[in-house]
Amino acid sequence: MMRPAALAGGLSKAPRAMRRRSPWWRLAGEEAILVVGAILMVMPFAWMVSTALKSPAEILQWPPSFIPENPSLANFVFVFENAPFARWLLNSLILAVSSTVAILLTSALAGYVLAKFSFPGRGPLFVVILATAIVPFEVYMIPLYLTSRNLGLINTMPGVILPFVVMSFGIFFVRQNVLASIPDELIEAGRIDGASESWIFLHVVMPLLSGPLSALGIFAFMQAWNQFVWPLLVANSKMLYTAEVGLALFQTGYTVDFGAVSAGSVISVLPILIVFLALRRRIIDGVALSGLKG
Amino acid sequence: MVKFRLPGRTVRGRWAFAYLTLAPVVAIYLYLRIIPISQTFIMSFYEWNLIARRRPFIGLENYAGLMRDQAFITALANTTVIAFGILALSVPSALFVATLLAKPRWLSAVYETAFFLPVVTSMVPATLAWKWILDAKLGPLNQFVGWFGIPPQAWLIKPELAIFSVILLSAWKLLGYNMIIFLVGMRNIPATYYEAAEIDGASPGQRFWFITLPLIRPILLFVSVITVIQSYNVYTQVYVLASDAQGAPGYVVRVLVYDMIENGFRFFRMGYASAEAMILLGIVLVLTAVQFGALRDRR
Amino acid sequence: MQRSLITLIALLALVGSAIAQKTLTVWSGYPELEPFYAHVAAQFEADNPGVKVEILTQPLRDYERRLMVTLPADSAGDILEISSAFAARLVQNDLIPPLSANLEALVTGGAYADFYIENASFDGTVYGVPLFRGQGALFYNTAMFEAAGLAGPPTTMDEYVEYANILTQRDASGEPTVSGWSLRLGGGGSGIAEKFWTIMHQYGGSIVTQQADGTWAADYANDAGYETLKLYVDLVNKDRVVTPELTGDAQGFQLGTTAMFIRESWVIGDIAAKAPDLPYATAVLPRGTISLPVNLYVTSSDPLASTFVEYVMRSENLRWLLANVGWLPNRQDVDYADIIAATPGLDGFINIPADQVLFTVPPIEPIDEIQTRMAEHLVRAFTDRNLVDNEAGIRAVLQTAANETNDILRRAGLR
Repeated sequence: MMRPAALAGGLSKAPRAMRRRSPWWRLAGEEAILVVGAILMVMPFAWMVSTALKSPAEILQWPPSFIPENPSLANFVFVFENAPFARWLLNSLILAVSSTVAILLTSALAGYVLAKFSFPGRGPLFVVILATAIVPFEVYMIPLYLTSRNLGLINTMPGVILPFVVMSFGIFFVRQNVLASIPDELIEAGRIDGASESWIFLHVVMPLLSGPLSALGIFAFMQAWNQFVWPLLVANSKMLYTAEVGLALFQTGYTVDFGAVSAGSVISVLPILIVFLALRRRIIDGVALSGLKG
Repeated sequence: MVKFRLPGRTVRGRWAFAYLTLAPVVAIYLYLRIIPISQTFIMSFYEWNLIARRRPFIGLENYAGLMRDQAFITALANTTVIAFGILALSVPSALFVATLLAKPRWLSAVYETAFFLPVVTSMVPATLAWKWILDAKLGPLNQFVGWFGIPPQAWLIKPELAIFSVILLSAWKLLGYNMIIFLVGMRNIPATYYEAAEIDGASPGQRFWFITLPLIRPILLFVSVITVIQSYNVYTQVYVLASDAQGAPGYVVRVLVYDMIENGFRFFRMGYASAEAMILLGIVLVLTAVQFGALRDRR
Repeated sequence: MQRSLITLIALLALVGSAIAQKTLTVWSGYPELEPFYAHVAAQFEADNPGVKVEILTQPLRDYERRLMVTLPADSAGDILEISSAFAARLVQNDLIPPLSANLEALVTGGAYADFYIENASFDGTVYGVPLFRGQGALFYNTAMFEAAGLAGPPTTMDEYVEYANILTQRDASGEPTVSGWSLRLGGGGSGIAEKFWTIMHQYGGSIVTQQADGTWAADYANDAGYETLKLYVDLVNKDRVVTPELTGDAQGFQLGTTAMFIRESWVIGDIAAKAPDLPYATAVLPRGTISLPVNLYVTSSDPLASTFVEYVMRSENLRWLLANVGWLPNRQDVDYADIIAATPGLDGFINIPADQVLFTVPPIEPIDEIQTRMAEHLVRAFTDRNLVDNEAGIRAVLQTAANETNDILRRAGLR
């Protein structure tokens, strides 16, 4: 049983040649596993696209063909003709953008203040904010629904957005970043120079937070786009559905029109896919950072 | 935190800024989180049907009723099986893949993209893709298992198989996320440890078991608990996958959130549904405490 | 100067007409009724310029939830179409006003049978105008019956079971490919319980019954319940006449994977749209059937709203409803004969013998919950092989479910 601590001292200078190379069959095996794994991960999407391009008759074939015989966009046309899909995507976009902007604003401000300003009750306040993150949304969504009803927000877009204007993790994240990377001296320098607090915030703090904020923004955007339970509950009319809700409700009923449903899914997934492929590094790093909140 | 001694305007300006910016955020938290959470707690001790003027206080009767409620017990059992099933399927495999990807490879970027793709896509389209794959009569999964001599199964109709399908889909979606977190943790382990072990003749398996695993233990614990907690809220996947031919979404596999929504928004038993929400919260708190406790145990 | 004056007058006229334009909102929980309301709205708007009728339909569950949220907040539509069972709690909580005098006169003036007047009233006051009902009957594939040598539809429960076995077509391994009788084995809870109830009704049973003293009690842990559950268990597990995997219900009937099934009249329109060449007929059930009345309620005090309801109840509109949508209008002093002659499928729904006993979903608040919970037990029992030839087991299942039902009733103060 090896103790890393005991070894670390003396062996870092070992010559390269002494390091054992993995046998080819191990390398090949690992690569094979990764390839198979990657294919399994991507497979469902491939099927989604394949089904979306098939004709209704071909979908009913058994065994299912992977490559469509006569690929056509008929299913896509059908989706747009039979559902206000563009409107649903727009609703999702409105929800995601509004939520992201609100979260970035509140998190940046609150995170900064909680990090750099001392006042009685600061500690407990932060703990309470953090504690609300532990409580799953589903636990308090019923009173939230009643509150929305009292505000007359049921079946309105503001009602759909309402719960998602703050994110505890966002505040925590910004606070961490401010504590870690914005020295007090920088802020004091601004104060000595006679700058107002808001100026300091906007021109000193915010630029330094641009990296973490963009990561947070991506995270918040994905969360909001993914929302399902609340929009399902609050939206009563077809024109208010988000893409998630609309797509889910599009497929309930006696027969599942796999062609249409797959086409709808492809349309839903495409924007995120493109954004992901473009900003892959940023997104993965952002999500990784968010995951390490523990 | 530096206490500044400049007199007059600047100090007051500072506090004004702090209060002005914090107050609205605190107010939002009160209104959208803290008050609703307390309301759920309070409502769980009352009985209310959403339109009656009377709201009688009934103490613990809602909780007692839940304990006798077959539907709730089924929901709790299903959800627990699903949550731990997702844990069992997604965490070890994520760990395994992360180990493989920990050293730089020619196709690393491709692998990362492929494994992370399910994570970035939203739940409903991803579930719909699986709904086709799992279809009893038309889906490729039955074609695949047919190659092994297994007869076609009704993956989404038989409750046990439906639970398995939900677990499979959820684990598939979560794997990349867990993997990335493990990767970050692993990349923080100094390479010198591995080099030293290699020189001493340790096999990759031994290197994993005695270096990687102990050093990654806190992250492993964290990811495991988070996975289980998140999985207790499972709803979307079940709604989409298990909506059967009569158009009753989520009926085949009854889960906690489904039961809660049914009690609150179908039978309009607001107090009862609130009690159910409190039980869900209780489970999450217990799991969170387990996580903190286990992490504290580190020597 | 003159031009701006004209512009001003034009603007005022525009504003004036906008103010004069009234909107009446009609809400419904049955999206297939939208064309019907649109049809009536067209007439109404033509006779009442300056009034616009806005129709909002939603799937039933979402609609009920919306009613619960908007009625207390006074933001519901002016004319609401609600099933009598669901409306009960709304009426009892003073959320819906009684009918205006002219509408009450319409309802009580002989246009409707007592059954429908009762289900639109509470405590002697009439609150709603009966519009249509959901009623069950047997749909059977005449070609399959002929091929199997059966002269006509089954008329006793024994014949139902016998015919179901004869009509089932099987593959080489003995598994059914065409079910002789499609039973509701899965799906929404209340649907399962309702279909079970319909069959249990033939044996004289009921899910809940009101006692002499006004309280309610579960009424299915008895012989009627036993016979019904035994029927399901045998047909699914012993005789293998129907399985959950087989496509059933309306879709199965249209695709030809089932020979007969019991459902409501909307299936007629569905068949006409999706399988117009299907050779089928309808027949009444042995003892009686379920009838779920749906009424129109008026929340607005504006007389125009009541007038709109009168338009809906015109003979020609109700005939339009029957001919084009397929739900059954409740008004009895209208002549539907020619429509029935043109659509023979309606025969099993409208021409019912006088000795048939109708039952309906009771207007008690927890009925939805009772049915859903009961369905949980039933669904598990239907495919439980251990219950075959196991009288004690079947009765135990029913007793457990009945105890739960009684608990719910007690909790609701009804027992």
